[in-house]
Amino acid sequence: MRAEGLFYLAWRNLAQSRTQFSLGVGGVTLALLLMLALDALLTGTGENLVAYITQSGADIFVAQEGVKNMHMAASAITRRDVSLASHAAGVASASPILYIAGPVKAGGAEVLSYIVGFDPAEPLGGPSEVVAGTTALREDEAIIDGVVARSQGLNLGDEVEILGETFTIAGLTEGQTNIINSVTFIRLRDFQKLSGSDAVSYALLKVKPGYDPDAVVAAITTRNADDVNALTRADFAREERQIIQDMSLEVINIMNLAGLLIGLAVTALTLYTSVLHRRQEYGVLKAIGAKNWQLYTVVIAQAVLSLSLGAGLAVGLVWLLGLTLPLVIPNVALVLTGQAVIRVGLAALLIGVIAALAPAWQMARLDPAQGFRG
Amino acid sequence: MEPILVVENVTRRFGNGATEVVAVKDISFTVAPGEIALIMGPSGSGKTTLLSMVGGLLKPSAGRIQIGPDEISAMDERRLPEVRLRRVGFIFQDFNLLSALSCLDNTAIVAQLAGRSRQQAQQQARPLLEQLGLGHRLNFPPEKLSGGEKQRVAIARALVNQPDIILADEPTANLDSQHGHETMRRLRRIAKEENRSVIIVSHDQRIKDIADRVLWLEDGQFKDVVEMAIDPVCGMAVDREHTPARTEYDGRLFYFCALGCRDEFLAAPEQFWTRQS
Repeated sequence: MRAEGLFYLAWRNLAQSRTQFSLGVGGVTLALLLMLALDALLTGTGENLVAYITQSGADIFVAQEGVKNMHMAASAITRRDVSLASHAAGVASASPILYIAGPVKAGGAEVLSYIVGFDPAEPLGGPSEVVAGTTALREDEAIIDGVVARSQGLNLGDEVEILGETFTIAGLTEGQTNIINSVTFIRLRDFQKLSGSDAVSYALLKVKPGYDPDAVVAAITTRNADDVNALTRADFAREERQIIQDMSLEVINIMNLAGLLIGLAVTALTLYTSVLHRRQEYGVLKAIGAKNWQLYTVVIAQAVLSLSLGAGLAVGLVWLLGLTLPLVIPNVALVLTGQAVIRVGLAALLIGVIAALAPAWQMARLDPAQGFRG
Repeated sequence: MEPILVVENVTRRFGNGATEVVAVKDISFTVAPGEIALIMGPSGSGKTTLLSMVGGLLKPSAGRIQIGPDEISAMDERRLPEVRLRRVGFIFQDFNLLSALSCLDNTAIVAQLAGRSRQQAQQQARPLLEQLGLGHRLNFPPEKLSGGEKQRVAIARALVNQPDIILADEPTANLDSQHGHETMRRLRRIAKEENRSVIIVSHDQRIKDIADRVLWLEDGQFKDVVEMAIDPVCGMAVDREHTPARTEYDGRLFYFCALGCRDEFLAAPEQFWTRQS
């Protein structure tokens, strides 16, 4: 029997009972959705978390020696370090920022924020764009994210408390709030006044056209390796994401395992009951000349079909969630990656192979003569 | 004529030692192409075991079974599905159609198992179903068919690979008398027109008249083989012992299915009988 015939029989077996079909495919969908949604949530969170870095326009980040990222890190470099970096071959500009993670009191709520002090006169360091107001901050003015402003009913001209001081909202950004925190911008000079120091945390470098950022990084590191650590924007963002991944790895593994086990249980049970339910019919097929491998193929095709449908539905649902969830919960983003889809596809394949083992064993033991015994 | 089926000294035992049961004991018979053999006997007499062995579903403990040139009793288990697929057509008591497939696909699946594409198999199955009066039911699922219609689908399925032998297990058991009779007439026509051998296992006394030969199985052995005679008027097979009418003509004994046939024969015997020189 050709594959099309076996697949057709598998499909008819699967689709004949709507209840069984819905339970089987629905169970698989839920299991895979569990795996995929968590992955998409963490990826989305990671992407949001590095939004400031990726949208900064900087080609290179210069930090204190040993510091590779921003989240849960404290970096301090001197004006001299910034100056040295700015004079490295291929550097077009070096913009200093001061950064700390701290609370911003907005409309009675405390929002955990990356507080970034930037110099409005410098090309880099501030928000890439504002959706309202200005980036040209004056004394005691701040830019907060639109999600925070909306959630607290704030608008341009309203006041927020940053590091114990009152600031007036002069600009609003978008896409700078994630499930963990938000990014708030003030002037570097205001920040330094509050901290009582002229040190900065990072320098954001722009590379001249025609220069390779990796080569510039190597040059800076060679000249000033004892004091600073320079990383390209991609490396700096990767290090930042890695922190999130390291923090959530166990949760991901547990959820993946849970999804895998649920998917396996649902698929195996659906297949097993389906084969049990059709035991007589498979016996008849054997009696009229079907070979064991053909019956195995029907069972495997049934598993592949329900898992493919389940995986397709799960991907579709996560994609749909990715579109709709931010409308309801603005600081949540679901990002579906090709890697995650492949991973879930492989998990589905693994589930199918394991789940088909017991029914295949049942098939092999079927007595073809039972067709005559009724 | 060379027999299409040879069953020689076949025995089948189940269990061993104190629990051993001999279901079929040293049975021998042959079936010619186009012949209809009816195997009757009480429950537990070994009919189904015998049928299963003839169909290559069960191996005999001893003896030889040959279908055409193939000695299936000596075949490896892995080769038997091919024999069942191409040499034998099965008609089961409960029809045993696949509930998920339509009439057409239920018939076509046997051709698909033999390597045809779905389309080719359907092309092969469609005329068979149409001949059996199911042209308007091709896409119906089995649950929407009457018992007689299901049996016709089962017959079409048994025929689709043009087997040498058709094995029918209680083919009339789930049918009313009218449909049962129709089914048997169809099987007879298939046997005679297409020269296929039909072996029927049944309790139904009413179908004795379509068989060429009735074999009585009891305690795993044939007790008394009843030769059937053919009514020269209507062509029906008649049990010689229980015929309602018989007459002697031209030195030969003729058997009839009814008094009407005998009277018709006696009115103009030369129309029905030509002396063999």
